[in-house]
Amino acid sequence: MKKGPAARQAVRQSMADLVLAGLIILGAILLFVGAAELPPPRWEPLGSAALPRILGALLIVFAAIIATSAALRWRRGSAVETPPSEADPRRGVLVFGALVLYVAALDFGRAPFVPATVIFVAAVGLSIGQRNWRNAALFTALGLGLALAISTILERFLYISIG
Amino acid sequence: MVEAFSLLFEWQNLIFLVVGTALGIVVGAIPGLTASMLIALTLPLTFHMDPVSAVTLLIGEYVGGISGGLITAILLRMPGTPASIVTTFDGYPMAKKGLPERALALGIMASVVGGLISWGFLAGMSPALARFALQFGPWEYFTLVLMALVMLAVLSQGSMVKGLMAAALGMAFALPGIDSSIGQARLTFGSDALLAGFGLLPVLIGAFAISQILRDAATPQMSGKMDMPKRHLPLYRRDVGYAPKLLRSSIIGTWIGLLPGIGANIAALVSYSTEKQLSKEPEKFGTGHEPGVIAAESANNASIGGALIPLITMGIPGSVTEAILIGALTIHNLQPGPLLFQNAPEIAYGIIAAYLVANVLMLMMMWGAVRYIAQIVRLPRSGLMAVILVFCVTGSYAVNSSFVDVWVMIAFGAIGLGLEYCRVPLGPFVIGFVLSPIAEEQLRASLMMSDGNVAEILSRPYALTFLVFAVLTIAWPWIAARLGARGREREEMP
Repeated sequence: MKKGPAARQAVRQSMADLVLAGLIILGAILLFVGAAELPPPRWEPLGSAALPRILGALLIVFAAIIATSAALRWRRGSAVETPPSEADPRRGVLVFGALVLYVAALDFGRAPFVPATVIFVAAVGLSIGQRNWRNAALFTALGLGLALAISTILERFLYISIG
Repeated sequence: MVEAFSLLFEWQNLIFLVVGTALGIVVGAIPGLTASMLIALTLPLTFHMDPVSAVTLLIGEYVGGISGGLITAILLRMPGTPASIVTTFDGYPMAKKGLPERALALGIMASVVGGLISWGFLAGMSPALARFALQFGPWEYFTLVLMALVMLAVLSQGSMVKGLMAAALGMAFALPGIDSSIGQARLTFGSDALLAGFGLLPVLIGAFAISQILRDAATPQMSGKMDMPKRHLPLYRRDVGYAPKLLRSSIIGTWIGLLPGIGANIAALVSYSTEKQLSKEPEKFGTGHEPGVIAAESANNASIGGALIPLITMGIPGSVTEAILIGALTIHNLQPGPLLFQNAPEIAYGIIAAYLVANVLMLMMMWGAVRYIAQIVRLPRSGLMAVILVFCVTGSYAVNSSFVDVWVMIAFGAIGLGLEYCRVPLGPFVIGFVLSPIAEEQLRASLMMSDGNVAEILSRPYALTFLVFAVLTIAWPWIAARLGARGREREEMP
């Protein structure tokens, strides 16, 4: 196999496709397991289990095609052309982590909405933008204003309590 | 139609239309934020609104969202929405030549004319098409949904197999919950939380807003010198000469909008290529040529009117944004399709009326405030993303006052991001999710009516036509390759 950026890209793409195919097959198996628990059709020809089975079968076929072409691409070392990206996935992961923690704090930790939102907005703002005291103050103020506005609208007008 | 206009001009509906159009323009102007994301985010708000107000707000957002993209496309060469990519070809060179005002004036004028011409098709064709669609039975509907899904999956960018897989996966995610035909839980695996299935709103917000924010968070903020408009936007008497180009591009945009899976960006590209081929000065395209801006902008706006035709007459979404609009209607217990004109004429005609007025509002807002809207792009993106994420969380929670929906939203955000990483298009995934219940219901009804006899489809000409189209759509890449190979063989023969 050739070495170099194109070959590395091919390996990355092929691995992603193989993982995707694996997950899709797992999902298809879940569809078959769920369909097996359903009763046979009584008043209609198709029944409740037909569509899960049809989709499960289709997903397995598609996953097999994707896995085969990924394996062939890996062997050839040729990648599907994608535009160059300056993305830093770590920042995306940080934001996702902050989001999960924020919702977990509201749901499981019963954290009050306003302080939790202020911390979340400041954390996300600083993890994406420049980290300095000016931005920290700006995002805290933004979070406070937003949290107060949303909680007022939810509680006063829509009678919904959050956090 | 007159009643729809009078309803639209009631103050609360007009305010929602103004707010929706303004929001759409602003969001459309910001690269990375799209009309579909805005509509998905505001869906929870419409839950508590009157259906007419909800529809006017969303239509305003849609029209504004597609139009606003031209501002940054011309001033920064960064299309605010994918629909404006082609506008950068000539709009940005015009701005670099010191003509940003002229490029914006032509872009806005072309957008409005495109919108108005496609409105003519929407208003003229929809009621008649809806009456025609009343002849459809379950077989026709099932095959129509199947054809739309197949076209969306095959015509979306990237691999055909991945597009089809995305549609099947989206359909599979719509299966859990109570099967309404037999009243029994299906694919819930004992979980009470899954009895109601995955909510449409959390899925839409997760798949579009969350995945997009996470993707944008990873990319550095765009920078670049902006040639800001300083003078008024000029239009001249000689611009009347652009009328044939405007008409041609708008018709192309409308008809491309009608086809499922081909979005405003493709409409703009096809229209641009057509104008270039017909032009006596094709070499000028791409160097700041005025017809280039006109072709792109009139076609991308016209495609909205085209896409709304199958939506309100048959309940078939042409793109993701229309799928979200279908979701908005179903939230209000309204089923888009031919019966919409009978059961809820104020909504069917309201969509048509709102589309026209939104185009006029868009013209007024963009003409008057384009230089201020352009400044919004300079706002720090990090704060904006944090605010949108809070809206996503509260919007998903507000639907059922349940954090289960918020976790579903986060999960679908991660799924959307994962699918995009693997170059699987999100459009067919979401549209498969939206159309799956309709497809299953119609298939089951068809088989019940025909005692399980699938061959019944052969005696139904419309259903058979839709099925043949679906099969041809899948087979077309293979047929095209064979025809191409045969043509090359003929050329090589002595």
